[in-house]
Amino acid sequence: MSDGEDQDMFGQGGSDPAMQEVEEDVEQDGNEEESAAQPASASKGKGREYEEEEEEEEERDPEEEEDDEEDEEDDEEEEEDSGRRKKQKTRHRKKPAASRFLDIEAEVSDDEDEEEDEEYDGADGFIEAVDEGGDDDRRHHALLDKKRQIAEEDKSPEQIARDLSRRYGQQRAVCYTGDMNEIPQRLLMPSVHDASLWQVRVKVCTWRHEREIVYSLMRKAIDVEFTANPLNILAAFQRDSLPGMIYVEVRSSAQVAKACNGLVGVYPSRGIQLVPIEEMASPLQIKKQDITVTPGSWVRTRRGKYQGDLAQVVDVTENGEDVGLRFIPRIDPNPTDDGGVEGSKKRKKTTGPGNMRPPQRLFNYEEIIRAYERKLNETYKDGLIEKDFKLSALILEDVNPTLDEITQFTRKRDETEHDSMIDLLVIAEASRKAAIAVLQPGDHVEVFEGEQAGVHGVVDEINQDVVTITAIGVEIDGQKVELPARSVRKRFKPGDHVKVMTGQNADETGLVVSVTDNVVTFISDMTLQEVSVFSKDLREAAEVGSSTNAVGNYELHDLVQLDVQTVDIIFKTERDSFRVLDQNGQVRLVKPHQISMRRDSNRAIATDAHGHELRINDNMKEMDGEGRKGRILHIHQSFYAFLHNRDIVENGGVFVTRARSLVSVAPKGGLIKPGTDLSKMNPAMIAPTGGMVGSGNMGRGPRDRDIGLTVWVVKGAQKGYVGTIRDTNGTIARVELRTGNKIISIDKKNLHKRIPPDGKLVPLDYHAQGQNDGFKQPFPRNNGGGRTPSNFNNAMARTPNPYNDARTPAWNASSRTPNPYAESGKTPAWNASSRTPNPYADGGRTPAWNANSRTPNPYASGGGSSGTWGGATPGRTPNGGGWGDNSGWGTSPERTSGGWGSDAWTAPTPAAAPTPASAPTPALSAPTPAASHTPAAYRRVNVASAPTPGAGLDMYNEQDDIAREESPFNNGWLFDSEFSNVQQRLRVIVKRTRHDNYLNGDLENHEGRVMGAVRVGDNFEQSALIKFEDGAIPQRTILTKYLDPAPPKNMNDEAVILDGKSKGVVVVVRESPDVKVTVSTKADPSSIFEVPQDELAMLYPEP
Amino acid sequence: MATVGSTVPSTIKSKQLRACLLCSIILLPAEFRKTGCPNCEELMQMKGSPDRIATCTTTYFDGVISVIDPETSWVARWQRTSKYVRGVYAVRVKGRIPEDVESELDSRGIKYRPRDQTEQD
Repeated sequence: MSDGEDQDMFGQGGSDPAMQEVEEDVEQDGNEEESAAQPASASKGKGREYEEEEEEEEERDPEEEEDDEEDEEDDEEEEEDSGRRKKQKTRHRKKPAASRFLDIEAEVSDDEDEEEDEEYDGADGFIEAVDEGGDDDRRHHALLDKKRQIAEEDKSPEQIARDLSRRYGQQRAVCYTGDMNEIPQRLLMPSVHDASLWQVRVKVCTWRHEREIVYSLMRKAIDVEFTANPLNILAAFQRDSLPGMIYVEVRSSAQVAKACNGLVGVYPSRGIQLVPIEEMASPLQIKKQDITVTPGSWVRTRRGKYQGDLAQVVDVTENGEDVGLRFIPRIDPNPTDDGGVEGSKKRKKTTGPGNMRPPQRLFNYEEIIRAYERKLNETYKDGLIEKDFKLSALILEDVNPTLDEITQFTRKRDETEHDSMIDLLVIAEASRKAAIAVLQPGDHVEVFEGEQAGVHGVVDEINQDVVTITAIGVEIDGQKVELPARSVRKRFKPGDHVKVMTGQNADETGLVVSVTDNVVTFISDMTLQEVSVFSKDLREAAEVGSSTNAVGNYELHDLVQLDVQTVDIIFKTERDSFRVLDQNGQVRLVKPHQISMRRDSNRAIATDAHGHELRINDNMKEMDGEGRKGRILHIHQSFYAFLHNRDIVENGGVFVTRARSLVSVAPKGGLIKPGTDLSKMNPAMIAPTGGMVGSGNMGRGPRDRDIGLTVWVVKGAQKGYVGTIRDTNGTIARVELRTGNKIISIDKKNLHKRIPPDGKLVPLDYHAQGQNDGFKQPFPRNNGGGRTPSNFNNAMARTPNPYNDARTPAWNASSRTPNPYAESGKTPAWNASSRTPNPYADGGRTPAWNANSRTPNPYASGGGSSGTWGGATPGRTPNGGGWGDNSGWGTSPERTSGGWGSDAWTAPTPAAAPTPASAPTPALSAPTPAASHTPAAYRRVNVASAPTPGAGLDMYNEQDDIAREESPFNNGWLFDSEFSNVQQRLRVIVKRTRHDNYLNGDLENHEGRVMGAVRVGDNFEQSALIKFEDGAIPQRTILTKYLDPAPPKNMNDEAVILDGKSKGVVVVVRESPDVKVTVSTKADPSSIFEVPQDELAMLYPEP
Repeated sequence: MATVGSTVPSTIKSKQLRACLLCSIILLPAEFRKTGCPNCEELMQMKGSPDRIATCTTTYFDGVISVIDPETSWVARWQRTSKYVRGVYAVRVKGRIPEDVESELDSRGIKYRPRDQTEQD
């Protein structure tokens, strides 16, 4: 390009509108300024105007850029060293930026870039115009110098200075001119020419996320500035008080979308809204209600050791960042002394937050010196610590200092001297703002400052800070007066009934006793103590506090455990504490946290003075003492009863007494039968056994037997489901379903269970016969302190009942004839024997038999002391397992001495033995033949030696034994095909007839020969014709179930083997029969072998 | 724009960011120390002087403006920062410049406008 062309451009430059606009913006620096500068922009301007000259542009642009760079370098030389250094550094650092720059050279052909370029060039590019097309460096420089010289000569020094500042303004520190400061802001309001402002929604997630987005917009804009797609954003901003949105200043909404594209956390889809031109300034004008921190005001600390503590501002630094505070120190009175001052200091830091916070305590020089033996690096004054805090570490809003805190501050002052540094007025001032918020129409207020001071009235309406009241009294009575809200306060007079609305004493009610300025003192309805609060926190209220009976998890009249020894009943709830009465009648005030647990005594019972049981909610009367009446609230350890009577004023009507001194107000049904063993229920008798009995089951009621049962739901939405009962409550059961892992509440009626033999579904309350459920009725649940017979839901649980009544359902169910007992129970023989313990003592075996629970009646009548009968039982328990073992019987000490030693069995202690009845079982179920043969043997001896011969006894004994026998042989053994050839020779013995009273039992133990037996259908009883040896009844048909094979008795007897691999073989007994019989076959006498006696059936000799 | 790097804070997440009390530009303290205030260093003279930085800048500001194009932006004009460098500015800065700077401004006949929006016209 030639100079001529430059000239040409020069000429055009002056009229470039773009340039003019820029110039306007930067004050009227004059059109003539930088005559050399204009060509640059002019050239650009021209370029823009003649866009079709693309080729030329392409050629020129890179050159321009290069020149530009060169130009800058030139400029640098002229600058101060510092400036250059800075720049060079930047260069170095920004190497990538430089390469980017180079990149651009190839690309800057785009029209879009021109605007940017133009601005850029326009700022400092006048020289380049001159340089245009100069390839010869020397010539170029010379030209440049000359130009500049000429230009500068024309200028005044001021102009030169201005130019310089303007030229380099964007790169380095400018001379601060404050040039726009004179313009009022209203003149800066946006016009239609300005770019528009767009509101963009962003994510509200982390702290100042918006700030990051605004920042990344900036970075993005800079990054892509010289690429093909610059962002064209002019500015973007965010306000802390407008979370979730940012504002972008841009020409069109498309550009906003482009700018936001790809930024994380920006939601252009939520709408990019144009901010109307008249509202553009608003987001920038938002002013936070600034809480000015002035000396004397109250603040709280946000963090650290003093977090939340009230502090008073002492001074504020110039820039308002640091605030000097004074507050009550928290000095650890027992600093951990780990040797050496330095060491402790370090340690202190590390253990800082984990430690307990020392309490607030005024500084005391002596104490601290004693504790620390050195000086603390802190400033203390008047017991208060003075310390600097960052403003950001302080809470300025909603400080709401309480009276307590303030008084802590003031206390010290009172002690020393009265420099009124801390004044209640300050707090009043601080709380006044808040007071406005709590005013409500209808409140009675008074004016305490200003012209109208002293006027009082009722609030009509509140309009922000202006309150309209209807005045009461004096001349302006009835007039409406508008007042600033801050100069009125709520008015109370002594005698008003008030309620505290907010703060520490919230919900407290009481009667106002005095009013001092804005501090109202009232007597609390609940605690009857004086409480002082700010009037702003009060309202007039008719209600009386203590509206709730519950504090925390505890309610009025709950039985609570404070420690191991004391159980208390809550008789009064206060705001955050209880009044409790312990079992010794002492009254205490406790906080909820002191209570370790709540006790449930719903199922507890005790006995009253008459031995009757008493339960919760019974109306009882004291027998002695004051004769107070009341309803039982709780029973503790079956000994203490807590009663309540509204008529008693003391302790809220609750009193404690001993259960033994109570009698029922009304006679109750369901009295315990006189015959009942009271010693078991009587806590007084249980107590000596060591407390465990009583305490062991306190609070643990009897478990519902259905808990844990697997049940089938037969009705309702869950019909068909199977589950396990987890808990029951009355008729409702909580069932954990097998499926879905769900627990449902369901009526027990809808649940069925399966009963064992065939898995039949039956209702839950169905109980199979023979399950001894009859016991539940006569025995109240949980009697005698939780030994519940009903829990022993099996055939063995026979014990307690037999004392009342020998004919237990179990007995009947077992279909064994009780008759003989009833009849023989009172035979003289029995009584005689019970009075003559000798045989039992020396024999050591029989008493055990008789002591058997199944023969209680004789004792009841003969022994004469039925009440203590139960005492005899325990002796049996330990031996229960060895029932069928004779040797065990004889040696059992309990049997001989403990059980039968006359007085021993009247002792109350044995009552503790819970399951005496289990003893008889082993023999009952034992099918072992061994058991069957022995008793018979000595039974006879016994009878013989008994000094009181009694058939009854004999019979009884025998029968008893037999009854327990089961035939070791299968019912149809007689018809076994193995024996068919010897059937007519079999010797049999009649057994078990007495128990079933078969043929009156006359034939029991009679032996005879089988004359004939024919098997009949399975449905019929098998029978056989027997020819008996002794002639009473020569021949008789006997049911085969009563026939057992008779064992061989003598040597050379023939016998048939009944079982085993040699079954049916006829053998000859070779030695005297014992338990094992040595036998051999007739054919081969030499091969002898042993067979158990009970596996042999004696045969009559062959005819 | 090789100079941009020095007028834009290297991060925005820092809690130490400080705003100049006079021109409201936001930078990190280290950046203030290294280069001073890009706009009003002449008056503030913060470069290399942490004490000056402490008195002439503050962390207590509200609202962040990314001024990308100071000359054309209305926002920058409204904030009276259109003569300043491109950079990140605060909408509102709490505090006043030190008295010496204020008197210096006064002597130059420049009206000082605190940036805490207390005075508006």
